[in-house]
Amino acid sequence: MAIKDRQDSTSKPVELSLYKAHEKVYPRETKGRFQFKRKLAVVVLLGLFYVLPWVIWDGQQAVLFDLPHRRFHIFGLTLWPQDFIYLALMLIIAAFSLFFFTALAGRLWCGYACPQTVWTEIFIWMEQLTEGNRNKRMKLDKAPWTFNKIWRKSSKQILWITFALWTGFTFVGFFTPIRELAHNVWYWSLGPWEGFWLFFYALATYGNAGFLREQVCLYMCPYARFQSAMFDQNTLIISYDSGRGEPRMRGKKRREAENPGDCIDCTMCVQVCPTGIDIRDGLQYECIACAACIDACDEVMEKSGMPKGLIRYTTEKGLSGEPTKILRPRILLYLVLLLGLTSAVGLSLANRSTIDINVIHDRNSFYRIVDAQHIENVYTLKVMNKSQQPATYQISAEGLPGLRIISSLSNNTLVVPPGQLTELPFAVRANKADANKRIHSIEILVSTVDDITLSDSEQVKYFGYKK
Amino acid sequence: MNQPPTDPTFNERQLKRIFYRRLGIVVWVSFFCACLESMVFFALFDPEYLGQLSSFAVDLTRWQGYALGFGFFWVFTFLAALFAGVVMALPRTKLAKRPPHS
Repeated sequence: MAIKDRQDSTSKPVELSLYKAHEKVYPRETKGRFQFKRKLAVVVLLGLFYVLPWVIWDGQQAVLFDLPHRRFHIFGLTLWPQDFIYLALMLIIAAFSLFFFTALAGRLWCGYACPQTVWTEIFIWMEQLTEGNRNKRMKLDKAPWTFNKIWRKSSKQILWITFALWTGFTFVGFFTPIRELAHNVWYWSLGPWEGFWLFFYALATYGNAGFLREQVCLYMCPYARFQSAMFDQNTLIISYDSGRGEPRMRGKKRREAENPGDCIDCTMCVQVCPTGIDIRDGLQYECIACAACIDACDEVMEKSGMPKGLIRYTTEKGLSGEPTKILRPRILLYLVLLLGLTSAVGLSLANRSTIDINVIHDRNSFYRIVDAQHIENVYTLKVMNKSQQPATYQISAEGLPGLRIISSLSNNTLVVPPGQLTELPFAVRANKADANKRIHSIEILVSTVDDITLSDSEQVKYFGYKK
Repeated sequence: MNQPPTDPTFNERQLKRIFYRRLGIVVWVSFFCACLESMVFFALFDPEYLGQLSSFAVDLTRWQGYALGFGFFWVFTFLAALFAGVVMALPRTKLAKRPPHS
């Protein structure tokens, strides 16, 4: 009979809503060892963000991504567009670190370091400050518009907007000297681009951290969608120990039950969750691994005199009682790639040359005849001086006997200001008798006059005189 | 638990939600891709030189070049994402209106 009833009720097709309207999540505040670590991460990361642009290094802003002048200053290191490879490599390193840490310990990034998490934490903290704890906030939202509600809501908005504007200002300060920017803001003389990005970034912060919050993680973040590909049975996850917790029950039922599980069904873990899920349903993609449920549950377990760790950091293997293996092929592979790339980038940055040259052969003619004995090949030389001082370069050619550089410069020395790219057309003159093959290979050498070890060279074709 | 909706405006609201969600995805994805494209493109090319090279006379500062380039990229990534969004929505034909499993 019971089975028949159930069949009846399920056999009818039920129209379900595919998209449910968003319900606001009111995360309850928690304290505990993991929340302490998260707060520490917030202070350190946001501290770095807001303080770094004000730091002065060698008389100029320590970290400045100077887009108008096309150069990046990072603590005495100056990167030019020619160093784009480093940016690409750093992004690759960042990606591999993300893979490595995800495979090892799950969504550490999401829980502790992601800007979305960090700013949301601050915004929720401001909300608590003005509107009170979870219950008060829920009540306040349902309450009619009284003076108290208007006062609390508007003070929250003032805090949020001020903080968002300060964030936008700091963000723009990474791309344009922040002291000048502060001056411009003070006298309300912002340029259109600075102004636009300041307000745009402020708006993004306000919207993402104030309103969208967990929806950014659920619907917008690409990492959340593919992070599970890095997971295996040995990955550290936050999990509810259902073997120990079930059957969950509370109140009278619990007192009368013979053998209740450790879970007292207080739903604290649900109330503290910033994404509004129930961790007891198992691992879900919504979980950003913030460990708030661990702290909440530990506190409850302590109060009810049961051992902590009903919800804990563990692995799938750990839950089923098997030993967890940390060193496994994928971890080792990520580690080797990561270490290899990092040391390669470090070495190449340390040995980075301050000269960058490019020699292009003239497209219109192979060679030209100067007189009965000599021919010339014409080239264009591009020299980039990547150092902070002006440099004087000497140009020379090697590879055939009697090669001579002919250019508009005296002594073939070229002065390039710091951080500039200079173009120079020049010709290389050779004897017909020596350059007698169709194609020769010669080397164009550019070296600084004061320090001969600083040089760069390029192999180019030399078209010879062949009857 | 899941009662069939009785509200007559349910379907309309549902369609509206789907529409806004799609639009949100199109805007967000195209913005993200336009950011990446501008980053790579302007790391390789200086907008000041590009202004000089173009076939009609334009006098651009770098900031204007960056902004113009970003806008240009966004328009195209937006069109691409919009196209994907539009073709992903099945046309409302008689076949699509038919109740499932019939």
